[in-house]
Amino acid sequence: MKPVVRHGEANDAPFRFGFTVMGGPGEITLAATDSRSGLRLAELAVAEIRRIESKFSRYRPDSVVSQINARAGADWTDCDAETESLFAYADALYTASGGLFDISSGVLRRAWDFRAQRIPSQQALTALRALIGWQRMERRAGQVRLALAGMEIDFGGFGKEYAADRAGALLLEQGARHGLVNLGGDIRVLGPKPDGSPWSLGIRDPRDPAAVIAEIEIASGALATSGDYERYFEADGRRYCHILDPRSGMPVEHWRSVSVVAALAVVAGSHATIAMLKQEAGQAYLDDCGCAYLAYDKDGRCLRQSGAKVTATVPPCAFPSA
Amino acid sequence: MAATEHPVAVEKPRSNPALTRDPVSTGALVLSAALALPGLLPAASAEPAPAGGMIGLRNLSYRESQPGLERVGSNSPSLVFLVPLAGEWALSGDLVTDNVSGASPRYHTAISGASQMKDRRNAADLQLKRYLEDGSVSVGLARSNENDYASTALSLQGTVDSKDRNTTLLWGLGGASDTINPVNLAVRNEQRHSIDAMLGVAQVLTPADLVQFSLGYNRGRGYFSDPYKIFDNRPRRLNQTALSAKWNHHFDAADGTSRFSYRYATNSDGVRSHTLGEEYVQAFGEGWSVTPALRYYSQSAARFYVDPIYDPLFGAPFPAGVAIFQHPLLTMDQRLSAFGALTLEAKLARQLSAQWSADLKLARYEQRSAWRWFGRGSPGLAPLTAHWLEIGLYRRW
Amino acid sequence: MRPLALSIVIAACLAGCASIEPVAPWQKGQLAKPEMGFADDVAGAAYAEHVYSSREAVSGGTRVGGGGCGCN
Repeated sequence: MKPVVRHGEANDAPFRFGFTVMGGPGEITLAATDSRSGLRLAELAVAEIRRIESKFSRYRPDSVVSQINARAGADWTDCDAETESLFAYADALYTASGGLFDISSGVLRRAWDFRAQRIPSQQALTALRALIGWQRMERRAGQVRLALAGMEIDFGGFGKEYAADRAGALLLEQGARHGLVNLGGDIRVLGPKPDGSPWSLGIRDPRDPAAVIAEIEIASGALATSGDYERYFEADGRRYCHILDPRSGMPVEHWRSVSVVAALAVVAGSHATIAMLKQEAGQAYLDDCGCAYLAYDKDGRCLRQSGAKVTATVPPCAFPSA
Repeated sequence: MAATEHPVAVEKPRSNPALTRDPVSTGALVLSAALALPGLLPAASAEPAPAGGMIGLRNLSYRESQPGLERVGSNSPSLVFLVPLAGEWALSGDLVTDNVSGASPRYHTAISGASQMKDRRNAADLQLKRYLEDGSVSVGLARSNENDYASTALSLQGTVDSKDRNTTLLWGLGGASDTINPVNLAVRNEQRHSIDAMLGVAQVLTPADLVQFSLGYNRGRGYFSDPYKIFDNRPRRLNQTALSAKWNHHFDAADGTSRFSYRYATNSDGVRSHTLGEEYVQAFGEGWSVTPALRYYSQSAARFYVDPIYDPLFGAPFPAGVAIFQHPLLTMDQRLSAFGALTLEAKLARQLSAQWSADLKLARYEQRSAWRWFGRGSPGLAPLTAHWLEIGLYRRW
Repeated sequence: MRPLALSIVIAACLAGCASIEPVAPWQKGQLAKPEMGFADDVAGAAYAEHVYSSREAVSGGTRVGGGGCGCN
């Protein structure tokens, strides 16, 4: 007898279920299951992901996020325990990042139009920076309020990771032990392949959407990547990406991508994003965060923490902390 | 008393001292905040009820020999199964038939007393298990029938898991009732009753280590003698205490698992035994695994065991200097002598497809009085050697 | 007495459990392997137990309710 056991029984090709969520691709991979129970589990997981999307999406007028934003500078909005706990997490990220990870910095999108590829004026950014400030979010039991009209918050910084973790936990509760939940590259691993071997997860080349630049092997935990390639434009030889420093209102530039391996997808994603925001200081931050990582800087140099089982990197990777 | 206390581990800032950094490790801060989010970890369920069932056919071929004598041979086909019921229950069973043929020694290892025997044993072992939120409870029924021996046993067992699923408490209670009707009519309708209790704990030590300790006690009353052995007269009570420790360790790099076990057991006949076991499961690609195993066993003799020194006048099987007509406690059963035994074993298993798997196990067992661990073994006994071959084929659904 | 000594060792080990770093659910990938279970290959263990109980004076001790046999 032993405390936690669920035996993998098969080593056939895993069951895979693809879908679109939060504006990107999602996939649930389950091994050691037949397609009928695989489908049942995948549908449960996708329903949970869609629940989170509709509850917290800033694009949906009925979401709690849209309600809070609509009442900025005015009324309090009721929020349930789940929403409050997300705010508590946002608060921790604000502290851990020294104010760089701020869920109210989304207002900068009003100035940055990545489709029109237009660099905003300093004036416009200065005006918007006045509307950023996590400390201006007022919280009391069961209610929140944004202090200034025009402020807005969103959970884009960790919502996908939160959904991947929730879906992963749900699958584990249902007895799944071998598989992963992948929401646009934010991956929560349920457990190893049925034969006990780890999953090999590819890291996208930040300069070539079709190429894999490295592979990371993980048997449990999570992997998340933050990069300058998701939304960006180039002008005068500079790359302007969607990750914006709330203090300057300008895009970060030091890292092409940061991948972090951690116990939970929210942890991995948060560390990756904070490292992007910290720019030059990101490496020291990563060395201190206690997680394995793989990062490519603006010149394509690769850095990694020795904890990650990285294979097939291009170019070969240095061990800064070794 | 410390003036201030930090809720999480405090780390000295490393790396670049020029960077201003919160004294609390950011890694710890983010992780503890993430763990406060609801629903990110599974509401830890205990060992989940099996999702699918299993049926398997196995066969054990057993051959035993002593120098100059091919002794017992047996062939035991069995059917094993596991059927999940109503989500939270599982019924499992093992039905076996033994076909025994060959000679069983009458006393010591003297060949003269051996006679041919043929017997068949049918046994069924059923267990119904209920999976609970924090553990499991199961009831078991075991029946065994031979032409001269019938046994019925009942058991109630359970497990209780800690909230973090790192500790499991194991308990068990059982009772057995046996009836002995030897074909030689040495006794009629003799009975043997026993109860047993077990208490244990399994603990996750590290992500790669699992240990289990258990304490078992068995109290038996009734007929324990061997009706087929002459001058075999054993106490009508037999109590046994066993302490066991098991340690499983996984080697991540090699994808191999070491399974170590030790048991100390003693009984009221005065037998003390040590059992050491080590097996190593090595997984290979494509569903193959190989498991070599080693087992060492050592016991002291029962206090009423007599060495094969025969009466100078009457010769074998009459023991020297024992007033056999006063029915003293006495046995010449080699099983109760002092000896050591070694088992060498190899198992090959293969996952054939999602549903099918098969395994094959070869074992060689040898008993020698000279191999006893502490002290000397009983003199004058021929070594006993046994070989067995197990094959199994399983289908899951 | 030897059993007493062993009891003390076990008690010490159990007391040691209190100071063990708890292993988190996501660290249990290796522990979930079938061969890491103590109940792995029960049917095979029952076979071996049957063989040993017919040739050795002391057997069992880790299970309850095993059926007896007249295997002499």
